Amino acid sequence: MTRIFNDKNVEAGEPHWIEWATGVVSAVIVLGVIAWIGKDALVDRDSSPNLVGVVLQTEKRGGGFQVLFEIRNDSSATASQVTVQGEIREQGSVLENVETVLDYVPGHSKARGGLIFQQDPAGKTLTVRASSFDEP
Amino acid sequence: MPPPRFTGGGSFSFRGRSNLSVAITREDFDRSKCFAGIARGIAGALLFALPMFMTMEMWELGFYMDRSRLFLLLIVNIPLLVILSDRIGFERTSTWRQAIRDASIAYGLGVLGSALILFAMGVLKYDQSLHEIIGMIAIQAIPASIGAMLGRSQLGGQSDDGDDAKEGDSDDPVHERETSYAGELFLMAVGALFLNLNVAPTEEMILLSYKMTPWHALLMIAASLAVMHGFVYALSFKGSHDLAEGMPSWHAFVRFTLPGYVIAGLISAYCLWTFHRTDDIGSTQILMAVVVLGFPGAIGAAAARLIL
Repeated sequence: MTRIFNDKNVEAGEPHWIEWATGVVSAVIVLGVIAWIGKDALVDRDSSPNLVGVVLQTEKRGGGFQVLFEIRNDSSATASQVTVQGEIREQGSVLENVETVLDYVPGHSKARGGLIFQQDPAGKTLTVRASSFDEP
Repeated sequence: MPPPRFTGGGSFSFRGRSNLSVAITREDFDRSKCFAGIARGIAGALLFALPMFMTMEMWELGFYMDRSRLFLLLIVNIPLLVILSDRIGFERTSTWRQAIRDASIAYGLGVLGSALILFAMGVLKYDQSLHEIIGMIAIQAIPASIGAMLGRSQLGGQSDDGDDAKEGDSDDPVHERETSYAGELFLMAVGALFLNLNVAPTEEMILLSYKMTPWHALLMIAASLAVMHGFVYALSFKGSHDLAEGMPSWHAFVRFTLPGYVIAGLISAYCLWTFHRTDDIGSTQILMAVVVLGFPGAIGAAAARLIL
């Protein structure tokens, strides 16, 4: 644009009280966010993730037995490329082993996924655990 | 015109012809103006939305995104376009009816443009399911329609504004050019939404928030506020804002910059939620992602106050 015109905007010198009210509420919100993150900066600093696998449910599906799981991360550190191993055992021997990779399990968060087994895990020992991770 | 007039004397038929010719030229003029407007809309959609057409995550969102969130986004876009059209539509005298008409044209151009470009780039193929095709077009239509609307106002129609600006010189500039407080906040929301839509779908936003420590986030909040305030008040960009005589600068910081930043943050949170970036995530991590996305959002909000 080459055309020049005077479009200086001037803020009103005597604003409506709504403007001040909005400003004050906003300041409180921003300070709240800063306080929240600041609290974590000071007290909640884990150096490595803490990953725990939980089986949510098992369903019979077209491709086999689908096990929905959740990996919880109780630490404040985020894990990426989390390998999840699912095993069906019976009397100590592994019958079937399936694995998947979750992109991220952020700190104090959980991530869900599914494993598909050919054998019915009912009546057998089913374990789902994280076996490796990267730092993001 | 009734037929007897045309079959009358020479003067009648002459008048009839002359009226007809005027009518044709006016119609031609309107038509070319209309085509120019549509072309500007397409140009705007391309200019503003092409980065999103070429983002892999946007394609994927088209098919896995929760349909109720997509529906909400599509609905929210309607009043947004209408108000945007009323605020920045290039005809100053526009009524709500015209604003609604322009908004629907922009939305239509957004849908059409998305479909054409996605098919042209081979992202969409005929053998895909209708569910995927519609989802992909619908999500890309949001930025494209905002782009089409901005294209109509920013890429043309400046001659209409010129008269207003001249009048503004003689009149009180506060009332002539200044918008209402709500209008100012709305513009910031649009600016934030626009930049946020560009980057929110990408994986980098959450990756950044995972890489950052809380200290980085605090620094980013300070940087966002400083950049936002600087853009509008300090850097003397075209369209920058001045303070009234004797007003300390923290007044503007509290009244405009802080609310603007909160709006940018809320829009960021909405975008992250819409794109499934907040599902099952802890509150601190969500807050960090909002701060990361709030940075471009704040710049978008500040830029909107200058440009629109």
